[in-house]
Amino acid sequence: MKIRAASILVIVLIHGLAISQNREILYDFDEIPGALMLNPGMKISYQWYAGVPGLSGIGINAGTSGATVHDIFADDGVDINQKIRERAINGMTKRDELSGTFQVNLLQGGFRAANNTRNFYSFGWYLEGDAIGYWPKDLADLAWDGNADQLGRRFDLGHLKTRGELLSVFHFGINHIYNPKLILGARAKIYSIPLHMAASNNQGHFVTTAGQNNIFSHTLVADMLARSSGINEIRNALEDDSVDELAEVRKILTKRSLLGGDLGFGIDLGFTYDLNESWVVTGSLLDLGLSFHSTDPWNYTLDGNITTEGVEVILPDALADPDSEFWEDLVDEIEGMVPFEEDNDSYISFRPTKLYGSVRHNFGEPLSTVGVRSADCNCTDQAAGSRRLITYTNSAGLQVFAVNRPRGPQTAITAFYTRRLGRLMQVKATYTADKFTKTNLGLGVNLQAGPIQFYAMVDNLLAFENLADTQYASFQIGLNIISWGR
Amino acid sequence: MKTVVIYLFVVVFGCLSACVEKPDFDQFDDIDAIPTIDASLIYVESPERIINQAGGINFYSQDFVFDPFNEDFVQERLVDAIIRYEVDNTTSKPLDFTVELLDAGDNVLDTENFDIAPAPSPILIREITYGPGGRPLDILRNTVTVRLSATNLGDNTSVSSLPDPKIIIRSSARFRIRLK
Repeated sequence: MKIRAASILVIVLIHGLAISQNREILYDFDEIPGALMLNPGMKISYQWYAGVPGLSGIGINAGTSGATVHDIFADDGVDINQKIRERAINGMTKRDELSGTFQVNLLQGGFRAANNTRNFYSFGWYLEGDAIGYWPKDLADLAWDGNADQLGRRFDLGHLKTRGELLSVFHFGINHIYNPKLILGARAKIYSIPLHMAASNNQGHFVTTAGQNNIFSHTLVADMLARSSGINEIRNALEDDSVDELAEVRKILTKRSLLGGDLGFGIDLGFTYDLNESWVVTGSLLDLGLSFHSTDPWNYTLDGNITTEGVEVILPDALADPDSEFWEDLVDEIEGMVPFEEDNDSYISFRPTKLYGSVRHNFGEPLSTVGVRSADCNCTDQAAGSRRLITYTNSAGLQVFAVNRPRGPQTAITAFYTRRLGRLMQVKATYTADKFTKTNLGLGVNLQAGPIQFYAMVDNLLAFENLADTQYASFQIGLNIISWGR
Repeated sequence: MKTVVIYLFVVVFGCLSACVEKPDFDQFDDIDAIPTIDASLIYVESPERIINQAGGINFYSQDFVFDPFNEDFVQERLVDAIIRYEVDNTTSKPLDFTVELLDAGDNVLDTENFDIAPAPSPILIREITYGPGGRPLDILRNTVTVRLSATNLGDNTSVSSLPDPKIIIRSSARFRIRLK
């Protein structure tokens, strides 16, 4: 029962809460402070902001480039084994992925420097979970069908590629108006990492061929490495009957989230450049960093190669030792040639670096950022040029996104249209194409009621017909307090 | 303001009208992940000159530990198995070859005997099924020792005219394991 529940939970989590890292609706949505996390060099029109703790930014997305929950578990009368064979075993390739990220802002704030209004400082603390698993095609085939009638087929051990981590991030950033056209931004981050695991650089194969002596010959060539940090201590806590397991796990995770475990460092960089009155380009590079895992590291390796045709009893050699243990000798030989080893050596991992870029065309009636016609407001130079404070009724453009993944960059392209509706509301509509879906329409709404700012974003609207059958869905919400003009 | 309300209504209504066709997770119980594995088992080879040198009738006999099906993981999940033997005799003499499977108490669980004709003779192929429709699967599950014995039913002097005459016994298993 436990296995069943755990298996279903894993499947649902993978399919239902797996998240693409792309947050295309939030990117370049200047009115929302959370967008600063995606581009530290974005235009900032407010004087300060404070996120409501725990609510200033929550994002949940879902994405799979392969089979969906509906594909496998739909109540359609089709045998589930047939569905698994058609839609997963035969329908997915090694490039199909199940990936995800969640992010919750626990603390977020920012303010414009009083003595140098060109500078805007931001700071905060957020939790992030990030995981990716590629479909281990050959290993899945081997587990589902076995090696029977597969003479000569090399089952590629390199298909096992996965990584994941849970981390809390403390950050401090500076947004600097370099000149009236160019805004630069940088953010320093300290990663405190409760959990990390990776098995992303495996090589080797397993193949069965016709034997030279015996009926079959089996060859294993392995160069595999799996690493984890923080997992064993939690597992031990869960298995310890003498303590309250959940309380112990909470204690461990809290301690590690507050700089009491593995640490890492990283930076975000970004810019906004006005080509002219109407055209703007932006770009950012996020999480250029690395982590050091030394608190509870475990490394597991399977390294070596062997070819065997089973137990061989060849006379007259076999007569030399009447007490020979052929089978045990063979097992020992295999374990010696392809040893499975583990150690506690520290290791370094790199963060999945993200890249955003956009080209935006502003058009329509120019407005001040508070939704008042520019001619009616006193848009004087508070920092380095009044244009900074001017937005337009409409804007449209293209965005690109890329994130570094174990099997190479994962990319997406987005077309967007943003419209301001009166003083209170901005709406952003997007169309995104990536490996998950080519029909991703998204919608974001930002509401401002005095100093209260609230936003909600929904991705892949067409999938709402049946969420269980979607390959990508997401929503983001946030609540902030913003000071305009003072 | 009216426009804002309309847009809000569209967004909120859109979100609330999202549907999820209820999946049937009970189907998980019906998943059958049962791979079929091919694996070589035991290979025995003896040149004719060794048979002749042995002098006696029984030229080879040996017990050794052999418990791949007795491992907990396999024992609990073994569905069925077919053991395949291929016997190739290019010697000039008739031979008898016996494979016995023994449990931890050295009790013989199963015996497979091969009455082997002298060369020229075709390769003798025999497949033994364990599990449904065959011999009890517990034979394999409880096997921890294999006893091999070979007997010369002919003379100790003749030599086959075939090149490199020898007796060869090949064996493999095709078995199914229930992973889920």
